[in-house]
Amino acid sequence: MEKKKIKVTIDGHPYEVGSGKTILEACNETGVKIPTLCYLKDVSQNASCGICVVEVKGAKTLVRSCVTGMREGMEIVTHSPQIDQARKTNLELILANHPKDCLVCERNGNCELQDLSAQLGIKEDAFPRTKPHMLPDDTSLALFRNPDKCILCGRCVAVCAEMQTVYAIDFTGRGLRSRIGTFQDKGLGNVACTSCGQCALVCPTAAIVERDETNEVFCDLYDNDKIVVVQTAPAIRVGVGEAMGMDEGALVTGQMVTALRKLGFDKVFDTQFTADLTIMEEGYELINRIKTGGTLPMVTSCSPGWIKFIEHFFPKSLDHLSTCKSPQQMFGAVAKTYYAEKMNIDPRKLVVVSIMPCTAKKFECKRPEMQSAFHYWKEKIGLAEHESFFDVDYVLTTRELAKMFKRKGIDFEHLKEEEFDKPLGISTGAGVIFGATGGVMEAAVRTAYEVLTGKPLEKIDLTAVRGFEGIREAELDIAGTKVKVAVAHTLKNARTLLEQIEEGKSPYAFIEVMTCPGGCLGGGGQPIPTTWAIRQKRADSIYKEDKLHAIRKSHENPAIKAIYEEFLVEPLGHKSHELLHTGYVERGIF
Amino acid sequence: MRISDYGDLAKIKKNGEKKILPNKPYVAVGMGTCGIGRGAEVLFDSLERSIKEKNLDIILKKTGCFGFCAEEPLVNIYIPGKPLIIMHRVTENDVVPILLGIERGIMPYRNVMCRIESWDYITGEFNYGKGLEEYPLWNDVPFFKWQKKIVLRNCGLIVPDDIEEYIGVGGYFPLYKTLKEMTPESVISEVKSSKLRGRGGAGFPTGVKWDLMAKVEADQKYVICNADEGDPGAFMNRNEIESDPFMLLEGMTIGAYAMGASKGVVYIRAEYPLAVQRLKGAIRQAKEHGLLGENILDSGFSFDIDIVEGAGAFVCGEETALIHSIEGRAGRPTPRPPYPAEKGLYGKPTNINNVETWCNVPVIISKGGEWLTGTGTEKSSGTKVFSLVGKVKNTGLVELPLGSTLETIVFKIGEGTGSHKRVKAVQTGGPSGGCIPVEYLSTPVDYESLNSLGTIMGSGGMVVMDEDNCMVDVARYFTEFSNGESCGKCTPCREGLAQTLHILNKITQGKGEEKDIETLIKLGNTIKSTALCGLGQTAPNPVLTTLRYFRDEYDHHMIEKKCEPGICHDLFTALCINSCPLHMNIPRYLQLLKEDKLEDAFESTLRDNPLPSSIGRICHFHCQMKCLRETIDAPVSQGDIHRYIADTVHLEGKTQKIYNRLIKEKLAPTYKKIAIIGAGPAGLTAAFYLVRLGHDVTVFESDSAAGGILRWGIPKYRLPLEVLDREVEFIKNLGVNFRYNTTVGKDVTMQELEHDFSKIIIAVGAHKDVMLNVKGNNLKGVVSGMDFLKDVAKGVQPDIGKNVVVIGAGNVSIDAARTAQRFGAEVTVVYRRVKADMPANKDEIKEAEIEGVNFLFLSNPTEILADVNDRVRGIELAKMECGDIDLSNRRKPVPTGESFIVGCDTVIMAVGEEVEAPFLKEFGIKTSSNGNVFADHFSFKTNHPKIYAIGDAVTGPSTAAEAMGLAKKAAEIIDHELTNKRRFHKLFRAFEYSDKVPLKPEGGNRHYSVKRPLEERRGNFKEINLGYTKEQAYEEVARCLRCDVRVTVNNEEE
Repeated sequence: MEKKKIKVTIDGHPYEVGSGKTILEACNETGVKIPTLCYLKDVSQNASCGICVVEVKGAKTLVRSCVTGMREGMEIVTHSPQIDQARKTNLELILANHPKDCLVCERNGNCELQDLSAQLGIKEDAFPRTKPHMLPDDTSLALFRNPDKCILCGRCVAVCAEMQTVYAIDFTGRGLRSRIGTFQDKGLGNVACTSCGQCALVCPTAAIVERDETNEVFCDLYDNDKIVVVQTAPAIRVGVGEAMGMDEGALVTGQMVTALRKLGFDKVFDTQFTADLTIMEEGYELINRIKTGGTLPMVTSCSPGWIKFIEHFFPKSLDHLSTCKSPQQMFGAVAKTYYAEKMNIDPRKLVVVSIMPCTAKKFECKRPEMQSAFHYWKEKIGLAEHESFFDVDYVLTTRELAKMFKRKGIDFEHLKEEEFDKPLGISTGAGVIFGATGGVMEAAVRTAYEVLTGKPLEKIDLTAVRGFEGIREAELDIAGTKVKVAVAHTLKNARTLLEQIEEGKSPYAFIEVMTCPGGCLGGGGQPIPTTWAIRQKRADSIYKEDKLHAIRKSHENPAIKAIYEEFLVEPLGHKSHELLHTGYVERGIF
Repeated sequence: MRISDYGDLAKIKKNGEKKILPNKPYVAVGMGTCGIGRGAEVLFDSLERSIKEKNLDIILKKTGCFGFCAEEPLVNIYIPGKPLIIMHRVTENDVVPILLGIERGIMPYRNVMCRIESWDYITGEFNYGKGLEEYPLWNDVPFFKWQKKIVLRNCGLIVPDDIEEYIGVGGYFPLYKTLKEMTPESVISEVKSSKLRGRGGAGFPTGVKWDLMAKVEADQKYVICNADEGDPGAFMNRNEIESDPFMLLEGMTIGAYAMGASKGVVYIRAEYPLAVQRLKGAIRQAKEHGLLGENILDSGFSFDIDIVEGAGAFVCGEETALIHSIEGRAGRPTPRPPYPAEKGLYGKPTNINNVETWCNVPVIISKGGEWLTGTGTEKSSGTKVFSLVGKVKNTGLVELPLGSTLETIVFKIGEGTGSHKRVKAVQTGGPSGGCIPVEYLSTPVDYESLNSLGTIMGSGGMVVMDEDNCMVDVARYFTEFSNGESCGKCTPCREGLAQTLHILNKITQGKGEEKDIETLIKLGNTIKSTALCGLGQTAPNPVLTTLRYFRDEYDHHMIEKKCEPGICHDLFTALCINSCPLHMNIPRYLQLLKEDKLEDAFESTLRDNPLPSSIGRICHFHCQMKCLRETIDAPVSQGDIHRYIADTVHLEGKTQKIYNRLIKEKLAPTYKKIAIIGAGPAGLTAAFYLVRLGHDVTVFESDSAAGGILRWGIPKYRLPLEVLDREVEFIKNLGVNFRYNTTVGKDVTMQELEHDFSKIIIAVGAHKDVMLNVKGNNLKGVVSGMDFLKDVAKGVQPDIGKNVVVIGAGNVSIDAARTAQRFGAEVTVVYRRVKADMPANKDEIKEAEIEGVNFLFLSNPTEILADVNDRVRGIELAKMECGDIDLSNRRKPVPTGESFIVGCDTVIMAVGEEVEAPFLKEFGIKTSSNGNVFADHFSFKTNHPKIYAIGDAVTGPSTAAEAMGLAKKAAEIIDHELTNKRRFHKLFRAFEYSDKVPLKPEGGNRHYSVKRPLEERRGNFKEINLGYTKEQAYEEVARCLRCDVRVTVNNEEE
């Protein structure tokens, strides 16, 4: 529908703009950008910072362009001495209580506050600090909050409340004591936070960042006694290029593998291998549930933020979760059992590092259940309790990986492309699309259809479940049985589907849920910024990679066939149960 | 019972009327929070007991508050057929006389404030009765005289807990009319035609607001009453609800009908428990009577009201924050639009009005919208309730037509400060408002006029401030409040106010820097223009208005590090030191004397003040006006002790020893030549300090000797010549060159001085009398007070006759009168105001009276009458009476129309002096029209780089100490400029003395020095004040509370 056009004047020139636009949107179209700070498109309109103010003829005060709609005949001035003064003063006020430790700051070089200071011509400290210093929040395994660096823009609160409906953080205190806090100041690790990291992704400064584990990984890499293997999630290959200064959504699989080798990893594997494995296990689980009248709909379990969400908010529905571990955890378990055994490596010396687009994975790998390999070996060679280890030792985000590349001086863009190591580096197109919302569903359908019907799937691309619509559904005809499936991304949409389930009104047999907008490619560990346009480019690359793969169905992956033949025997078998499946806990919301 | 038709309502009205005018007497105790705070509860219990014990047929009621807080507890007494009597300041002791009075059918006289014969409840009128004319009518009492009670129509007169009394005065008839006879549109059009504007402060037209909401379609709409009254010092809404809760409920119900809302919320502060309690009771009664809830008055319209108690956040007065608070969320505002009318409570259209706005509604329906426009101004109709507090005699709630002036509120209703202190400013609008200086008090109170002064109407808080208020501290206080109440959401408010407060704290601690003012203005403007909500947008008003109107006070704090009113305690030690223009360390010499270190005590005074003996006699004693001891009994007589020390040291023959000490320690010569024009107190002081600093100082004096006003103005009976001579001699011995009989501009030119000297200080005094502009002021026998005194001082026989009239009320006038009397004349001082308003020293006035000088007060000269020889034969005086209190906090003299003649042969004019120094203008020194030299307040620089001006030459007539104070500061600055070194402190030294603070006040009552007996004074100029005896001096010294001793607590910033 064509929106009505209205006539306005911006900086003395007449314009026609579509009605329904904010002043900010309309002005930015004229080629003169209005600076913003707290505003973040599609995320936050907190209107708190006072930077995007403009003059509107007739208004008593300056007007916040980010939240004010255009009206017919409006006369707007975007830049004037008074406006510049107000913007500058407001920024100076923010800077007064912001530590100016840029050189040693996590976000040095990628900080909106830094950029804005340069843009508004801040040359000196105009005001002294007026706030007491606050203690950092070190309670979360995934995220680290430094309230001193917080400028109270409210983006994290908005994303947590509106996109994720988690409400783990909110404004607390008033006046100068205002801060972003958790329930009773317990800290992120002790409240109903899903660790999704979307807050870190939208934070303009380093007030919320992932828990940095790069130093630990460097230590192990330099330790000759250890065999350090790495797995990379599907979304890394479309993200890390960006973080290394390349185009948005650049597909850099080969360079990434080379760079990881240069970083010193003994083996470079691919989480996509276990993504294929997940499809096998999960596909059979679904078939089994349908055949035996198990709990339906079954919901995917590869997104750890989502798992924590349901454990906190919908504990009654835990049965609906697939018992499959996520591909990352399957990888850890397989690497430290199947691979270690095969290569004759002492599992205690094997270090598994994950590169994930995700902060919740940092939490996931430290879940007490995620020590399957240790229990496997304990039984087999009698390890002592104190020798326990996790299946996955470290999880690094895309951003952390890029930092390591930079520290190691890797000339990423110009590296030649190399291939993943075998066997845990062999994957299919089905594994790749795990990185986009709808991908797990699509991959599962490719396998389930062929397993159930015994016939090859004619149309491999299941476009109905692709795209960024919040909840997408499809009806599949599998051997004459009609199966309804749904795909949701962001926890807000997941909540909608879960409420449906709890009301007993869910029409679906299978649901895919991804915590982050766009799926893993929009994960909380991905490069900053991550916008909808950028997510689209990453998705495009993901689907491009899928197309490039000769094999696009998990069950056709030769390495998967091999692992079942050599080790696991069959999907949902005894070893699978021991190593690849898990259980969930009720967490409560306080 | 449920009311469903007119008959039911009328029946209840009858019951109510019987309660308001019963056939037996009643006593009603004002039981607002304010009354209870002043003991009304105890009083009520006592009345109840007594009535029961005596088995009296008297009704006892609890009413709300009639508004006169200063006079609480208020009690209304009604005896059938007689006017309603309002008694004030009633205590338990008054119970028996009151009950006895009622019993006997005559009113007890004690504590009666006024009577009410009839009362216009607007929705109905009541005649109480006639008689008892010995008491003033209620609206003859100044506090009520200018008020117009529309919103407060029922407050303090009806029982707030009884719906029948409310209906009795015509309440709920407007609602009946609304629901049965009017459409929602017609209600809104009535409100529109009333031109009522939001009383919460912003002044948005109420009818327009209602209309916006009415036009929005929705399944659910809300109306909200904002009773989150949070301004410090404001309590209008509290009283409106406590005293007349049904008025609010009725207003909201009418509004809900007009706007199509079915639910209402009163958002009220939890700190108002009594208001909450009364409101809850009122809601219950209204429901029982079918006036609230389902199917009101059987009209089919349903409306219910909930009470939500706010937790006391100031920001929750902002409508979006208030809505969030009702919803159970944090009270943080959100940007508008969307306005609540589109998207408010729970996302539904919502209308929010202030208590007072709602309370106007029943009246508008009852009388019609037009009726309200008969009160107030064109743009601001109706009345506004203010809570008048602060440094004002009559505090309380006042309601008056919009457009009344602030002067009316402060001086006519409030009757000024009620003390000798002058009103300095009025703060309106609480922390969101600004301070209006007294000069602007003729401004009408309406939304636009206040805005143009930089303040706002606000919800109606009005704080009066006097000379003792420091405006920087006021700004700091309100900023601290706003900063504490800022929700913290938006940058400008959260961070900007904190920075503003930081700077103001710095300034009040004497750490202000020059750029701070600019920063304050920049911050203020940014916060005003970019804060998200009204709290932030108005929070800089106190700072910006004080900067606009009281910039000099900021300068004093920043440049001089001085807080004149003695509030910013980091800037001074003792109040007396702070108020002494010479900054003498008064507690130090008091303590030194106490410790018997007489010589040290004298040396201490001498270093601070070169003329201790003289000034100890004739000072205005600024120190005594601020003495902390006054809060207990009377100030310490610092001056008398000062003089005692100087005199005693002299009597003991030790003065010269100490003089010599100062002469000996003179700093090495700088060979810089300084000229001082004028050898008065200012010139002598500048010379004293500059010569000790090693400069070559020459004083030019047109007269034959030094001393200025001390020699030529002050009569010898106050300051014996030998005392002055001794001190001048000492200054001469310090090395100052005096060139007497040398008039600058005549005997020596400014050009010569400019050539010969490095610096020139103008220290001429204000010696020329201003002649009163009346007919006959040039007749023979009309003399100037200063000329007269000077002649006498020179030994010239004055040209006065036997009957002398002195015009004026200052010290010159009293000096002239007493001097004339010593020449055998019959003297009369005439003054157009009353005795209490005389600016002269109170002691001097008292002595003049003792000596037999006549005084004619409230007499204003209109003509000096001539005899055939053009000599004075008499003076015509207009008889004046006291009018209202004027801006000077004194009652304005108003002509009565009568006049009378006083026969006399001499008229001495002493109504004020001015500077006369023609050479300045000739040389191009900038002066004002009255002759004062334009010099920078802090550097004393004139428009000529070499030339400085101090004393009366700059300020006009001032006290000797004030002139000397400026001279002392100027000496420091000039020395610094000449030498580029900080050397002034070298002229002072430390003294050893105890800093023990007396644990309880010592020394008894103030001691008065011995005066020469009257019979010894006649016809001579012997000194009258004989000074303290030793015992007196030592006892008086003990009275000092040692407020200069500060316990320093290391209070580090958080």
